[in-house]
Amino acid sequence: MMSSKILAWVTFLYFASFTGYLIGMIRGRDLWGKIASGAAAAGLLAHTAALLLRWKESYDLGIGHAPLSNLYESLVFFAWAVVFLYLVVEWRTRNRAPGVFVVPVAFFLMAFASLSPNVNDRIQPLIPALQSNWLTSHVITCFMGYAAFTVAFGLAILHLIKGRKKTGGTSRFLGLIPDREDLEELLYQSTLLGFVFLTLGIMTGSVWAHYAWGAYWSWDPKETWSLITWIVYAALLHARFVRGWRGTRLAVLALVGFAAMLFTYLGVNYLPSLHAYM
Amino acid sequence: MGIKQSPVWSFFSSLRLTLVLLAVLAVLAVVGTLVPQQETAQELARRFSPGTIQILSTLQVFDLYRSVWFLLVLGLLAANLVVCSLNRFPVSWRLFKAETPADERLFRDLPPERTAYPKGDREDILARAERALRRRYRDVRREELDRGVVFRGQRGRVTHLGVYAVHLGVLLILAGGVAGALFGFDGYVHIGEGETATAADLQGGKGQRNLGFAVRCDRFLVEMYDNGMPKTFQSDLTFLKNGQPALQGALLVNHPLTFEGIRFYQSSYGRSADGKARLSFTAKGEKKTEQTVTLGEAFALPGGEGTVQVLRVEEDMMQMGPAVKLGIRSDRGGIQFWVFRDIERIRRDNPGLYDQVPLFNPGLFAPYIFALEGVEERYYTVLKAATDPGLPLVMAGGLVLLAGLMIVFVVDHRRVWVLVEDARGKVRVAVTGRGQRTSAGLDRELSDLVRVFKEKGDAQG
Repeated sequence: MMSSKILAWVTFLYFASFTGYLIGMIRGRDLWGKIASGAAAAGLLAHTAALLLRWKESYDLGIGHAPLSNLYESLVFFAWAVVFLYLVVEWRTRNRAPGVFVVPVAFFLMAFASLSPNVNDRIQPLIPALQSNWLTSHVITCFMGYAAFTVAFGLAILHLIKGRKKTGGTSRFLGLIPDREDLEELLYQSTLLGFVFLTLGIMTGSVWAHYAWGAYWSWDPKETWSLITWIVYAALLHARFVRGWRGTRLAVLALVGFAAMLFTYLGVNYLPSLHAYM
Repeated sequence: MGIKQSPVWSFFSSLRLTLVLLAVLAVLAVVGTLVPQQETAQELARRFSPGTIQILSTLQVFDLYRSVWFLLVLGLLAANLVVCSLNRFPVSWRLFKAETPADERLFRDLPPERTAYPKGDREDILARAERALRRRYRDVRREELDRGVVFRGQRGRVTHLGVYAVHLGVLLILAGGVAGALFGFDGYVHIGEGETATAADLQGGKGQRNLGFAVRCDRFLVEMYDNGMPKTFQSDLTFLKNGQPALQGALLVNHPLTFEGIRFYQSSYGRSADGKARLSFTAKGEKKTEQTVTLGEAFALPGGEGTVQVLRVEEDMMQMGPAVKLGIRSDRGGIQFWVFRDIERIRRDNPGLYDQVPLFNPGLFAPYIFALEGVEERYYTVLKAATDPGLPLVMAGGLVLLAGLMIVFVVDHRRVWVLVEDARGKVRVAVTGRGQRTSAGLDRELSDLVRVFKEKGDAQG
């Protein structure tokens, strides 16, 4: 399939982009950062084209559906959303530092999707439970949320590195990281965005569950873990908004939230679940 | 002592309590996903001692999400949410009213691009300032300062109240969940194709519930894709009230049907023995006779040696394939034995079978030898039946919560002040503003306002 070939190149571009961000960060040259952004943007364009192409290919096979229906397709879409949101943040803030931590996540997702023997990249027809208009909105909102949390995760790591400045000497690397206040504001904004999307994802999911399974909430492990993730991020927002938590404590909470999110997405597959197909 | 000074109130009003409760809730939820719940918990019972299982059951670990612990934490959280919201509300209300008078300090150290010296007389400029603000902001107020006149426009102050909508939404969802658990029900209805059911098996083995009407499965249909994945399951149902058909419809996954307030969902399906089997038998030297038999029915052997009754029909007897159990009564007395379809294979795998288990010998009633050609199977459908009176509350809660989130995170409370003052014979206009968040939007709005005075002033001059 054409789309799979494009996606292999996209994986390579994201790796190139990550390398560029890394060299740019170590050597402190802007040129490398520009190359990295270019590679990420080119990758995103090709990625978008591949997703649309895969959509079309599924119609050619006579089982047309949006490419959001199994683990492979969700990994590919997750990576797309991560790069998309990251580039928006980079463009809005004119700072490339978070790229070193965010773009490799997209690279790993793509590599995992294409290399893992447990991930089937064939276009498959939809089983009856997935034949619903809610599939697309549920998956898109959830993964936009995941992607925003991934960006927040990259920012949180930067924040923690910047916080260790006193122990090391002054380095160009640290100099390129934005101020902790700016990082924190960005971290907060990404978390907010992710929180709104996760809320939407849980809601579209429960409307769908109401129609498909006859209960808007069944304490299925995936549902439960999405609630745990929601609770962690709700705690983060309250800690900052009401108790005025700042700095390291907030960054650590963002890491905890990211871990919960990853478990919601991948770890739950090892527990018995109604979401077995994802 | 007012209620707000009581220790109970102060206990529930702490955000630390919220964070602790959220953490406890998260930990309980983690436990609930790691420990098998409800029916699946029986697996665990085999691996642990009865004493351990007893203790864990008493602690309701196997039904955690309906346990006293979990409900207690949810209840505390709800109380905490209510008290915290009430406590904080006056602060938010003051921010919402936003009635603090304009302060001179707002106009200190303004950059030159935020000021203008328009031509025209003072009254004219005042009118123009008010018009410009009213066009952009619904809420405009005029104040007199020592320096001059200040107009204040604002929008989006509702953002201070959004968080209460979010909290109300959470409470409504919790209330809806409780109402559903108390007054709703949740069960499964198994119906064979062509059969009728009048009751649902309640979840968790809590007995049955009479539906008050009958459901007949007229036809069950299953379609597969070429690769063997299921494509469609469909039950064609007829709902009967007092024996009369009242509603007919096709039930598919993702497309529930409602009858008399009970919602039906296509949950799963299976195949089971229909109670019909195709049996053949031969007496020595005679021609083979084939016959379709039904569970419970009896027929006479052609030679009049006795009557055969079908006692059981199994689609998979002891994992050895389809089998029927026959009972033959004759003047020799009664005799019972099993007839397997795959008897040749079973004999090959178990040498000496007929000596060890004579009951499995299809030739036990000599001179006849019986054989099973096949067992007829038919589909049965499994429907989920549920009512949930809490649903409207949950839906309302979800919408309110979502609206609240949007109000908190998308709406920005922006206030803009325009000062009109006399400055050495000219009229000076200064524009400034404040938002809840740092954003480029407010800057654009302010530049846009200043331009009103610069361009128009130039044009008039």
